Amino acid sequence: MIAKPWRIQRVGAQAVLRTVTITMAAVSFAVIFLMLAFLVIYAYPAIRFNGLGFLTGTIWNIGNQYGSGSVSHNGYAAMPGAQFGALVFIYGTLMTSGLTMVFAVPFAILVALALVYRVHPALKPLANALVELMSGIPSVVYGLWGMIVLVPWISNSVGPFAEAHLGFIPFVGGGAGSGDGLLAATFILVLMVTPIMVATIRDVIQSQSETIFEASMALGSTTWQAVTRGVLPSVRAGILGSLLIAFGRALGETMAVLMVCGGAINIFPHNLFQPVNTIAAVIVSQLESALTDSSGMAQRSLAELAVVLFVITLSVNVVARTVLRGTDRDGNRA
Amino acid sequence: MRKTLALTLAALCALGTAGQALAATRLLETGSSLLYPLLNIWVAAYQKNDHAVQITTQSTGSGTGISQAISGVAQIGASDAYMPDGAMKSTPMLNIPLAISAQQINYNIPGLNNVHLNFSGPVLAGIYSGKIRYWNDSAIKAMNHDVAGKLPHQPIVPIHRTDGSGDTFIFSQYLSKSTPSWANGPGFGTTISWPGVSNAVGANGNPGMVQTCKHTRYSIAYIGVSFLNETNKAGLGYAALKNRDGHYVLPTAANIHAAAASMVGHTPKDDRISLVFAPGANSYPIINYEYAIVNPKQGNATVANSLKAFLNWAISANGGQQAHFLDAVHFLPLPGPVIAKSKAQIESIR
Repeated sequence: MIAKPWRIQRVGAQAVLRTVTITMAAVSFAVIFLMLAFLVIYAYPAIRFNGLGFLTGTIWNIGNQYGSGSVSHNGYAAMPGAQFGALVFIYGTLMTSGLTMVFAVPFAILVALALVYRVHPALKPLANALVELMSGIPSVVYGLWGMIVLVPWISNSVGPFAEAHLGFIPFVGGGAGSGDGLLAATFILVLMVTPIMVATIRDVIQSQSETIFEASMALGSTTWQAVTRGVLPSVRAGILGSLLIAFGRALGETMAVLMVCGGAINIFPHNLFQPVNTIAAVIVSQLESALTDSSGMAQRSLAELAVVLFVITLSVNVVARTVLRGTDRDGNRA
Repeated sequence: MRKTLALTLAALCALGTAGQALAATRLLETGSSLLYPLLNIWVAAYQKNDHAVQITTQSTGSGTGISQAISGVAQIGASDAYMPDGAMKSTPMLNIPLAISAQQINYNIPGLNNVHLNFSGPVLAGIYSGKIRYWNDSAIKAMNHDVAGKLPHQPIVPIHRTDGSGDTFIFSQYLSKSTPSWANGPGFGTTISWPGVSNAVGANGNPGMVQTCKHTRYSIAYIGVSFLNETNKAGLGYAALKNRDGHYVLPTAANIHAAAASMVGHTPKDDRISLVFAPGANSYPIINYEYAIVNPKQGNATVANSLKAFLNWAISANGGQQAHFLDAVHFLPLPGPVIAKSKAQIESIR
C-alpha cells in the first residue's frame, strides 16, 4: 500500500526523463540536419549552375561584375566569365589537415606519455596548466605570430636550408618563396591541435592505464614494452577520439590558416612552401566581393563550398566512429 | 536580492532613456577599411558641433558596406569602388565621392629600393600573369635604362590581395585599360581570378601586403596610398608608372591632382566613373574616388536630414575636405566641380 504510489511516481519520473533525453538527442540530430538542409537549399542554384564540375574544376572566377550580360547553365545565371571549381580548395583543406595529423599525432602521444610517466610530480601541475593554456589561445593569436615570426623564418632560413640540403626529397626542393603556404599553415595547425590532443590522451592514459602499466612492469617488461604493448593499445579508442576532434578542428580552422596560407587560387602547390588555400579560408576571403555579385551566384557557390566542407567533416566523423565501434567490440584490440 | 535586481533594472531604464534623449538620431557607417580611419577623424570632429546626431563607424569591407546600405542596416556604406550597372539596376543607390585616393606599386629588390623603377601596365600584367618571370627580363630592362645592369636574375614574386578589395579593383583596372589581353582575361573587380603563377602569393589586407612584401625579397605588390607611412618604414621601393600619354610619373600630390583634374569633365551626374589611366602628361594612372553608398529613400525625414547635413559637411571645403583631415590618411580633396555634383546627389536624399 505504501509502495504503490512511490512506484507510480518513479515510473512517472522515468517517463519524463526518457522523454527529455530522447527529445534532446533528437534536437541535436535536427540541428545538424537543418543546418545541412539550409546550406543545400541556399546553395541549390549553384549546385545546378556548377554541376559536377564543381568538384573537379580548378578555376574559381566570380565573373566580371562590371560586365554586361550573363552566362547561364541549367537555367541559372551568373556574371560573364563566372566559373566555380573547388578542387584547389578541397585539396588544400585535406592536405593541410592531413599533414597536420601526420606530425601532431605522434607528437601528442609522446608529450602525453611524458606528462604521465616522466615529468617530475612537482612540475606536473605547471606542465598541465601550460598544455591547457595553449589549447585556449585564440586562433588569431597563432595567426599573427605565424605572420610575423614563422613565415619570415620559413622564407629566410627553413626554405633555403631545405633547398640546399633536402632538395632531393620530392615536394621539398624548389625554393621557399615568401614562406606563406602549405608548411606555414601546417605548422600553425600542429601548434593549435597538439595541445587539444595531449590533454585528451593524457586524461585517458591516466584514468585507464595505471594498472596496466604497473602490471606490465611487474611482469618484467621494459618501460617501452609496457607503453607500446600495454598502455597504448588499451587507450586506442581515446587516442582515436582525440584525433577525431583535432582533425575536425584542423579542417575548419579559418583565421590562423587564412593569415599564413598564401591564398592560392587557380593553382596547386608544387612543393611544401607554395601557397595553398582551404575551404574555410577561401569562404572568408571571397565573401566580401561575393556580396556585391548582383547575380548572387558567387554567394551561392561559397555556400556550396560550405556544403562540401560539411560533408567532409561529417564523413570523417562517421568513418572515425565506425572504426571506434570496431575497436570497442573487440575489447579495445582492433 | 530582489531589491538589488529592481534597482539595477531601474538604473538600466534610466540609462536607456538618457541615451535616447542625448542622441536623437543615430547613423551607422560601415564598409571600406581604407575609408575607416578618415571617417573616424571626421565623425569625431563633426560631432563636436552637432550633438543631435550620433554616428557609429565600422570597418567591415566595401562589399559589406554596399550590401548593408542596400538592406538599410547602415545609412552610409563606404566603398572604394562604385557600384556596377547590374547592381544599380536592381537597387538604385547614390554613389557619392568623398575623397580621392591613389595606389603605389611597391617592390623589395635588395639594393634597388631607393630607386624609383619604371613600370607600364603591360609589363605589370606580364608579371601578374607569369609571362615575365625574372627581374632582368628584357621588357623591364627596356624601361629602366639607368639600372638595367643592376636588375638581378631572380624570380619575381607577385603579391596580390586574397580578400575583396578596392585596391585590387583599381590595380586590375589599370591592367585592363592598358593591356587588351588582361582585359579579355582576368579583367577587373574587387576580387579577380588571378592567373595561376607558381611564384604568386596572396596576402590579406593592406597590412598583410606590406608585411609579405617586406619579408619577401624580389617581390612586387600594389598597396593603397594610405599605407605610405608603413611602406616607407618597411623600406620598400615605389615605382613610377607609365600613364596614358606615355610618361612615367610618381604618385606625388601634384600628379594625382593632375589626373583628377583631367577626369572632372568626364565625371557623370551619378559620379560612377573610373579615374584610372587618365589622360594628361602628368596624370598618375592609379587613382580613384572613395565613395559613400547611400540609399536615396531613407523613409525618415529626421534621419535623411542628419545624413544630408553630415555628408554635406564631409565634402565641403571648410568641413571634411580640409587638409588636416585628409593628410592624415594621404587622401586628396575632391575637385570643386565634383563637389557640386556630389551636393546635387546629396540633396536628392529623402
